[in-house]
Amino acid sequence: MATDIETIAEGLVNPPAVATDPDLLPVEPGYKNVLRFRLLAVWLVVWAAGATVDQLAFQDLPVAGFLTFGVPVLALTAILTAPERIYRRLRYKLTDRLLQVVRGWLFHVDTVVPFVRVQHIDVTRGPLEKMFGVATLVVHTAGTHNSIVTLPGLAPARAAEIRDIIREHVRTDFA
Amino acid sequence: MSAPTSPDDAAVGPPEHLHPLFLLTGLGGSLRGIAGGYVAIGYLAVSGRWGTAFFGMLALVAFMTIGIFLYWRRFEYRVGANEIRIDSGILNRTHRSIPFDRIQDVDITQGPVARVLGLAKVKFETGASGGKEEGVLQAISLKRAEDLRRLARARRSGADAAVVPESEVSEAPPIYQMTPQRLLLAGTFNFSLALLAGLFGLMQTAGDVIGFNPFSRSFWLSILSAGDPVRDYILAHRFATAAAGLIVLVLLGVATGIVRTALTDFGFRVDRTGVGLRRRRGLFTRTDVTLPVSRAQAAVIASGPVKDWLRWREFRVQSLAKDEGSKQGSHLLAPLARDEEVNRLVEEFGWKPIPGAVTWTRVSAEYVFSLALALVPLILIAIGNLFFNPFIGAPFLAGLLGVLGVRWLAWRRTGYAVDDDRVLVRTGWWRRRITVLPARKIQSLDLRENFISRLLGIAWLEFGVAGGGMTGHSIPAIPRREARKLRDVLLELGT
Repeated sequence: MATDIETIAEGLVNPPAVATDPDLLPVEPGYKNVLRFRLLAVWLVVWAAGATVDQLAFQDLPVAGFLTFGVPVLALTAILTAPERIYRRLRYKLTDRLLQVVRGWLFHVDTVVPFVRVQHIDVTRGPLEKMFGVATLVVHTAGTHNSIVTLPGLAPARAAEIRDIIREHVRTDFA
Repeated sequence: MSAPTSPDDAAVGPPEHLHPLFLLTGLGGSLRGIAGGYVAIGYLAVSGRWGTAFFGMLALVAFMTIGIFLYWRRFEYRVGANEIRIDSGILNRTHRSIPFDRIQDVDITQGPVARVLGLAKVKFETGASGGKEEGVLQAISLKRAEDLRRLARARRSGADAAVVPESEVSEAPPIYQMTPQRLLLAGTFNFSLALLAGLFGLMQTAGDVIGFNPFSRSFWLSILSAGDPVRDYILAHRFATAAAGLIVLVLLGVATGIVRTALTDFGFRVDRTGVGLRRRRGLFTRTDVTLPVSRAQAAVIASGPVKDWLRWREFRVQSLAKDEGSKQGSHLLAPLARDEEVNRLVEEFGWKPIPGAVTWTRVSAEYVFSLALALVPLILIAIGNLFFNPFIGAPFLAGLLGVLGVRWLAWRRTGYAVDDDRVLVRTGWWRRRITVLPARKIQSLDLRENFISRLLGIAWLEFGVAGGGMTGHSIPAIPRREARKLRDVLLELGT
């Protein structure tokens, strides 16, 4: 085996990158509320569908009632716990020449985009994001794989600031 | 192009139509495109309403003819000083302008009918994503098509590049060429296991009905005359039927491979032109594609176990422009080549040749172990089946172990090497490939982990590379610390 005990131990105790790099910045706490409302919307749909099926078809089965009363419990748990965790794992870093976005735990992705590779940049704000005072930075590269890198939950002023920093570096290097 | 008569004319050029023979070829194309119509007519005919069927057919043809005629009438293109303008559309008019600066590539395709009539389909490749009908002239004369290409190239490379007549280019020896012998060999390698399985299934189910089932004794007995030694052998030995059937299938598979390869790769040659490499190939449908060298993003040298053992390689290039008519979308530049030939092509892109002996940094053995972990539920099911239903459980288990075995073989080959300003990635055992990825062409870098790989301390490094076709390039199962280091090195090299 190529891995030594130490590496395995490190994998067990440390969440990667986030804990080891102090330069990684968190996003705005308001983003948690955006996530809560998004989850709520998703779970409402699931609950509505589940409850309908439950009332119409499952009444004679032993699982009757689970979809109507169990799903809201699951939903509540998810809405109370997940946004906090997603928020905690979402970090970003801006150096003089690259943007790094770190997110996720179960499926952890650590993306690095050099400024010179950026093709164009969007700052988007949906209604929920407006409500909680955050914005999403969307960076497009020329790649076909992972060509769009998003960084949600930034303060609008900060998003605009990052956009302007990156914009100065944007150039095409293929003609 | 004739001398412009006014400054305005020079900017946009005189309007030109498609070749009048397009009325003929275009009709053929659209008649092929209306399968639904034939089904309806066929249904009417079968149900005995001959009059209605005939009338329907007539209406369909008339409708098509008028449609084609209007399309031809309303389609105009102009070749201006800096751009090509295409005005099209019968009711909704589209006025498209393609600046020469943006034309990376002019593809010329000739179908069998078009070759007889001296027509060609021209496609201006601009590298924009989506919009496949971006700049297509369905049918113009071959001469005009070549004029257009020369013009686009000259305009692109600026006034300093002298326009080289096409004929002169052709006289230079090609950079790479397929001889007929090599075409035959490539066809043999093109032998497809999937096709074989399909044929086997077909013969098992429908073979007796259509009277062609080489796996049945009666088939062989009926085609071989009495007293033939092969016939006697088949009569005497039961397994001989199966063996003979297998031989027939393999021969069929090889023959199909050869025919398929011959159709697409006949007369395959790659030449150097002013801005790039020009590839011509095809038996009936001849394609003529130029790949500008500055557009190349990555290269892949592919092989298989047998091919590799015989020292044959396939060479592809991922470019900003998509290669039409190739499944992968990347540009195939050599279907079957020796290392020297591959290196010659590599050098044409201004890249260093691939070193003969690369010191590969192997990936972690967890590459195998992580797959084993993922397969655990399936393996347990298989073992469970082994007790209750050995005839399903045993092959199932064998298949799973086979998958793991192939992964182990792949792991032994998988590795990466930083070679000056580029990274080389070697993967796969059955589908062997070496990816050549210049650090400057890496658009973004992802380090990917999940809850299983985290326990094992490994990460996947994924590269965002521009241009279509090849699925994401990545290096699997690198120990996490090494992966971060490698990422930093590549970022340093690339920016």
